[in-house]
Amino acid sequence: MIKKDLSINFLGVTFPNPFCLSSSPVGNCYDMCKKAYAAGWGGVVFKTMGYYNFVVDEVSPRFDKLDKEMTPFVGFKNMEQIAEHPLDENLADIRRLKKEFPTCVLIASIMGSNDREWEELARLSEEAGADMLEMNLSCPQMTSHAMGSDVGTNPDLCRQYCRAVKRGSKLPVLAKMTPNITDMVPVALACIEGGADGIAAINTMKSICNVDLERKIGLPIINGKSAISGYSGKAVKPIALRFIQQMRAHPKLKNLAISGIGGIETWEDAAEFILVGASTLQVTTAIMQYGYRIIDDLKNGLMHYMDEQGVSHLHELVGLANGNLIPAEELDRDYKIYPAIDLDKCIGCGRCYISCYDGAHQAIEWDAKKRVPSCNKDKCVGCLLCGHVCPVGAITKGEIVFKPGRGANRKIGDIVF
Amino acid sequence: MSEKYTDELEVAFTPLNVCEEASRCLLCHDAPCSADCPAGTDPGRFIRAVRFRNFKGAAEVVRENNALGAICARVCPTERYCQKGCSRSGIDVPIDIGRIQRFITDFEEATKMEILKKGRSNGKKVAIVGSGPGALQAAASLSRLGYEVDVYEKESKCGGYMRYGIPEYRLPSHIVDKEIEHIVKLGVHLHTSTEVGKDITIEELKSSHDAIVIAVGANRGKMLPMFKGNPHVEIAVDFLKRVRDAKGKVDMPQNVLVIGGGDVAMDVDVTLKMLGVKNISDVVYEEFCEFRASKKELRDAQKLGVSIIDGYVPIAVDGKSVTFKHRVIPGEIKITADKIILAVGQYPDVEGLGDIKIVAGESNVPGYGTNDPKVFVAGDIAHLDKTVVAAVRTGKDVAYFIHSKIGGR
Repeated sequence: MIKKDLSINFLGVTFPNPFCLSSSPVGNCYDMCKKAYAAGWGGVVFKTMGYYNFVVDEVSPRFDKLDKEMTPFVGFKNMEQIAEHPLDENLADIRRLKKEFPTCVLIASIMGSNDREWEELARLSEEAGADMLEMNLSCPQMTSHAMGSDVGTNPDLCRQYCRAVKRGSKLPVLAKMTPNITDMVPVALACIEGGADGIAAINTMKSICNVDLERKIGLPIINGKSAISGYSGKAVKPIALRFIQQMRAHPKLKNLAISGIGGIETWEDAAEFILVGASTLQVTTAIMQYGYRIIDDLKNGLMHYMDEQGVSHLHELVGLANGNLIPAEELDRDYKIYPAIDLDKCIGCGRCYISCYDGAHQAIEWDAKKRVPSCNKDKCVGCLLCGHVCPVGAITKGEIVFKPGRGANRKIGDIVF
Repeated sequence: MSEKYTDELEVAFTPLNVCEEASRCLLCHDAPCSADCPAGTDPGRFIRAVRFRNFKGAAEVVRENNALGAICARVCPTERYCQKGCSRSGIDVPIDIGRIQRFITDFEEATKMEILKKGRSNGKKVAIVGSGPGALQAAASLSRLGYEVDVYEKESKCGGYMRYGIPEYRLPSHIVDKEIEHIVKLGVHLHTSTEVGKDITIEELKSSHDAIVIAVGANRGKMLPMFKGNPHVEIAVDFLKRVRDAKGKVDMPQNVLVIGGGDVAMDVDVTLKMLGVKNISDVVYEEFCEFRASKKELRDAQKLGVSIIDGYVPIAVDGKSVTFKHRVIPGEIKITADKIILAVGQYPDVEGLGDIKIVAGESNVPGYGTNDPKVFVAGDIAHLDKTVVAAVRTGKDVAYFIHSKIGGR
């Protein structure tokens, strides 16, 4: 079995590996966190603690999911709010966990509704032994508009609450962002100005997963009604990667410390977050579906990836893709790539023909008798939709040509494709 | 389905297929498939690794638990073991575990992974007699535990029944070669064309090694008294070896009678079809409800057009003509064929291997020890199923048993 050092230093705290439970139902009490640590998770973001006076009152049922073909949980909708246990009980759990697992990282997630509450929650968390704080500025299903994502879209409030938290504690502070906003950068900048040390991104997206067609009610149904709430899982991964990239690309946030969240299920997902600049990672939806045991393949797979990449420390991979994501107007538009169709692999399903005709440029021609596709280069624009729909991988990148009148003094061989 | 003797009969999964198949898996808690693998290959764990796109990790699980993972993937009667308790059967059909394992080991091969590592030497030496699955797994496990291992094989190539018995279309030679290559890379020494009891004595081995494992397998085919001396009769294992040695280039008559209903009989049936034999009748003692051969093998034989007649026992033979009577219903059939192949079981030959007593095909001492404290048994002559995967289990077990007896510096 491969053995690689997965430890990483993040804001002065050493994580045995970058994988953490995110602040959510999966890290809700002592027993859960203990099992997760024992399973091999590097850290836990304990479920968000509110102040004494905020009473959590949950609905039943509270989840829904989006399926596609044979895949359940493409996306997942959650209506749960913050920790339902009393604050003192949560703090006692944190104390006990830190005592029993001193080398595993514990991050206390907190959420106040005014300066005093934020400051006090920060102080209490530090006292209980937390290694780091995460400010939940982003839960989209709170029953109070003075809390959650309504705060997270307001840079001034975020800055103010970060200052309050910094007054209450010396611990490193992460501000957790909401994706329910056009541009995350102003909020992230405000948080850093307020004293936050790093950013956790992203929280869930406001959503309606499904509507019951007979009863005309969104799901899940709570006494005949439903409500918009947070969407997570694999489906949000592309959105999370995009927000993280946008922050890391901003000149004032270049080496921003990020804890990446959003649809991480496999080691490949994890590696993608690391490459766009996340140093630690947080997971919930995949754990809710499959359990803490997914850590086995997250860690082992990431070790093999490090081995293949020839790196001995995880931090060497952080942000390696940032420079390769550039504004659309700066991309090379001088050439196109034709598809190469491997007829030995082709099973004659005709999916490439259908998609090219109906979704692209009618360039794939179809020999109906032999059931064989071919590419008409006069029509082909090189979009390669055909390759994406081929179920057997018979269509790959083929011949590269410069567009007419373009590419003078350039060599095809220099193109990285 | 290819019908060429040298081509694998079963088509491999593509990366898309294997992910689809793994996504059918319900990822059970305390997976019944893992509990049902005699070799402890842990299918529940490796399917989960595939589901989470960790093919390399999957390969580590297979290989570290089963040094013959690529072979078992192809020849294991999975419906009797891991697939038997598959929870997916409650919805439709069990996960095709063998084929997923085959994808994983093919991936391991394509990416040139070397997963098994030799253990730190403990200065002890073990000799293994025979080189079938039990012997090779014992060699791998012992080497990983730090032992110096010598394997003695009387044939010119290692692999035992996997090399000379199982037909090429089910288990290509290059797969056997590769598995043995991994084991040689672990530092195991192979001594081929060396028959213990003839070229070297068991006493010599005992003086040069700390322990001896007898894993000779049940390599002799049984003869029924009424067929003795009949020139039209060939024993199944001899026939399969002959075809395998000749890579399928063997002339056969157009009518063949096979007697037997185990996996070896099915191998004979399918092999005959692949050699182009038109008419094959296989008469079996058991009825279908009590059949011994794996369902997959039976299905392959029937798909290729072999007539399988169940529930009959031979009562008389006259040259090429054999008369059978039904075991329960009064009635007889008489079949005349140009060749008769007997697949009615195998037995081990332990002559010259010291003080080992064989009773009903197995060692007379329970477990892996014998009356001689230096001599142990594994493979077919140990007390377990007579399949490759069970032999792998005996190989692992005997290694740990020896380690518990003589381990340490």
